Amino acid sequence: MTEAVITANSLLEGDVVFWAGGGWVEALADAERFDDASALDAALQTAKGQVTTVVDAYAIDIIDERGQPVPTSYRERIRALGPTTHLDHGKQALGGPSIEAIAAHAGAGVRSSGRLGLIRRK
Amino acid sequence: MYRYDAIDAALLADRATEFRGQVARRLSGELSEDHFKPLRLMNGLYLQLHAYMLRVAIPYGVLSADQLRRLAFIARRFDKGFGHFTTRTNIQFNWIKLADAPDILDSLAEVGLHAIQTSGNCIRNTTADPYAGATAEEIDDPRVWSEAIRQWSTFHPEFTYLPRKFKIAVTGAAKDRTAAKVHDIGLKLRRSRDGELGFEVMVGGGMGRTPYLGQTIREHLPARHLLSYLTAILRTYNRLGRRDNSYKARIKILVASLGAEAFGRAVEAEWAELDQASIDLPDLELARIRADFNDVAFQDLAPVSVALNAAKAADPSLARFVRNNVAAHKVAGYGIVNISLKAPGDVPGDCTADQMDAIADLADAYGAGEIRVTHAQNLVLPHVKLDDVAALHAGLKEIGLATANIDLASDIIACPGLDFCALANARAIPIAQAIAARFADPATAESVGELKIKISGCINACGDHHVGHIGILGVDKKGEEYYQLTLGGSGAEDASLGDVLGPALSADRVAPSVDQLVDVYLRERSPGERFLDTYRRVGLNPFKAAVYAEAV
Amino acid sequence: MPKLFKIEDDQVVARDDPFQTLADDEAPSAGSGAVILSFARFQREGEAWLSQGVRVGVRLEPDQPVEGLAYDLPRLALVALAFPKFRDGRAYSAASLLRERYKFAGEVRAVGDVLRDQALLMLRCGFDAFEPADGATVDDWSKALHRFRHVYQAAADRRQPAFAERAAASGIGAPA
Repeated sequence: MTEAVITANSLLEGDVVFWAGGGWVEALADAERFDDASALDAALQTAKGQVTTVVDAYAIDIIDERGQPVPTSYRERIRALGPTTHLDHGKQALGGPSIEAIAAHAGAGVRSSGRLGLIRRK
Repeated sequence: MYRYDAIDAALLADRATEFRGQVARRLSGELSEDHFKPLRLMNGLYLQLHAYMLRVAIPYGVLSADQLRRLAFIARRFDKGFGHFTTRTNIQFNWIKLADAPDILDSLAEVGLHAIQTSGNCIRNTTADPYAGATAEEIDDPRVWSEAIRQWSTFHPEFTYLPRKFKIAVTGAAKDRTAAKVHDIGLKLRRSRDGELGFEVMVGGGMGRTPYLGQTIREHLPARHLLSYLTAILRTYNRLGRRDNSYKARIKILVASLGAEAFGRAVEAEWAELDQASIDLPDLELARIRADFNDVAFQDLAPVSVALNAAKAADPSLARFVRNNVAAHKVAGYGIVNISLKAPGDVPGDCTADQMDAIADLADAYGAGEIRVTHAQNLVLPHVKLDDVAALHAGLKEIGLATANIDLASDIIACPGLDFCALANARAIPIAQAIAARFADPATAESVGELKIKISGCINACGDHHVGHIGILGVDKKGEEYYQLTLGGSGAEDASLGDVLGPALSADRVAPSVDQLVDVYLRERSPGERFLDTYRRVGLNPFKAAVYAEAV
Repeated sequence: MPKLFKIEDDQVVARDDPFQTLADDEAPSAGSGAVILSFARFQREGEAWLSQGVRVGVRLEPDQPVEGLAYDLPRLALVALAFPKFRDGRAYSAASLLRERYKFAGEVRAVGDVLRDQALLMLRCGFDAFEPADGATVDDWSKALHRFRHVYQAAADRRQPAFAERAAASGIGAPA
């Protein structure tokens, strides 16, 4: 299998979070990366059981981009970054190498002038 | 506007208390997500891509200045300083925390606002003509009836768990600004031959995967029987609507499968057996509601404003604003002023907290303290003295909301799309911005004239793309954002569903294609024809040829 | 977990269930004076049960219209309406019809995915008995049933709707 991480939304805040060794982190860069299906499945079952911490835990495919995890699906890239319409909202506002890797893989960022960056699945 | 009395206020407060308890039980784990989700949806709380989204109801699109100020407060205190007005005339806040939701509902309840039944498989916000009570061409004020429906449908015990969501629109004028024909129930006020006030009742309209235009099951329903007749429709739907497949659960599917005539007969049979007198509002209550809506003390003014005419002559941007954004009022010397939330480059329908506060002040100063929300995601000050329009325009300019583009090509309806919505296949907002940029020059937009472009990020059609003159639907094609264009839809009284133009286009092809479509229109149009009219006359082929002639 | 909640004198109380719910192939226990049968079983055996003087209740699934019992209702002690999932709202209409249309005076019982967050809705539609599925207490249910001080619309419970309250308060007279 390709690599995967587990993601969910925090129950209390609604934030996008990622599974890391029994708990949840805010940044995709800190997420636990799985390359073994049964380990992924076991972790997912545990994650789904944390019903007072998160809502709707599920696994997503990632690829490695210069050491950084990048979701293959553009929907998940938007979840990991934030809305393309407000570049100062969401996790993308923090910047850093992980955010840059996701955004770079997605193509040019969207600016409110209307120019589009296409998000392509590899 | 309707004033909440002690009973209305108590209902909001009790609901907020109920929800606070349900949130606490969810956080403690006593309530599972499966049991909690419908309850939070019925209080307007969605879980979207980045955060919870709270959809606050704006019943039939009417707000007081103080209510708008409270929305600004919510945006600042609990969100990122802005809100988004929707095609069902509600407002959405995109960055809400579940933990804050009970406090937000308490704060809203203080000014008679709530998020009741703005989601879930229940009766949603009833929408009405945004020009209600201001336009000369209305048979009767649809807000009176919308308020009656609001009360009847709120916490209706029999209709809280329907097969699917249920949307009602009420229009009272010849021009339909509510898209009533694509609602589950569309109600059109009318008079019978002997002058009796009543409704034409249309059912089974809707968009989404399988769009339908509503069909008339009752040409004339005496107005006083509105609520009992709605009860008959809802009961028939609740009993017979499909529960096995949520994509086939709307009333439009039931009406299509039974046939409108058979469905209508079933409704009439149920209605005949109902205890109508216990359901229909007594005259006293209707009069009480109506009195609240007759609350504006209009002055005796000359029909023509010398001051405004002089100001227009001196300021072409004001003249353009009046041409496009100001509609005729039933009272001499007044105008209905539209505030566009579609400045090219902005997110369509978004409004910052500062802008909301400023609009509230302008409404107090020039607009009898009342604001309306339109199905096109714009705002309206329905009662503005023509003498005040210049000052209002100046005030709007200061907050970047004086765009003179109502119903023009840059006045685009767009859903939040994949930037925010967990259901979306593609983004809608950047597409809208790219198109609007091409019509940013006001003279260009005016020369093209009325062109209603509507964009949905997925087949749920919250952007109403099926009824766009140009409709744009985002689809996922092998992991990329592609867009299917339709032409010739209309949500107005001449309702029609759009025709597919051709294969879906990649994102960067959409705005140039819209340009090509407009070029065809400008080439082919006869005098006085809107884009929609030309399309209906010449058909799909010239437009299709233009867009698909070149290799991508 | 309580077996049965009933509404008595506007209060919710826990009671032992006098009815025995029988599966389609199940024989009753001795001395069973009250049974609840599926609609199919009632159609086959209802007359026999009633002629023995047994109190008979019929359970309807959401896709079984109450009209199917119209002829027999005067002789039935109870109708049980099923909520396979709490989100299936057909039983609300069924209960409303039993009370409003057929003037059924026996027990209308909610069975299945019956939860306190829907208690007031069920009560207003004419249910007066509940087999709760959520482990909630009588007190929890009581709080849920009294959560709202007013109601907007008329329903099977005949509780005074807001517009009637307003007319009464204004002293102008009863609504038309």
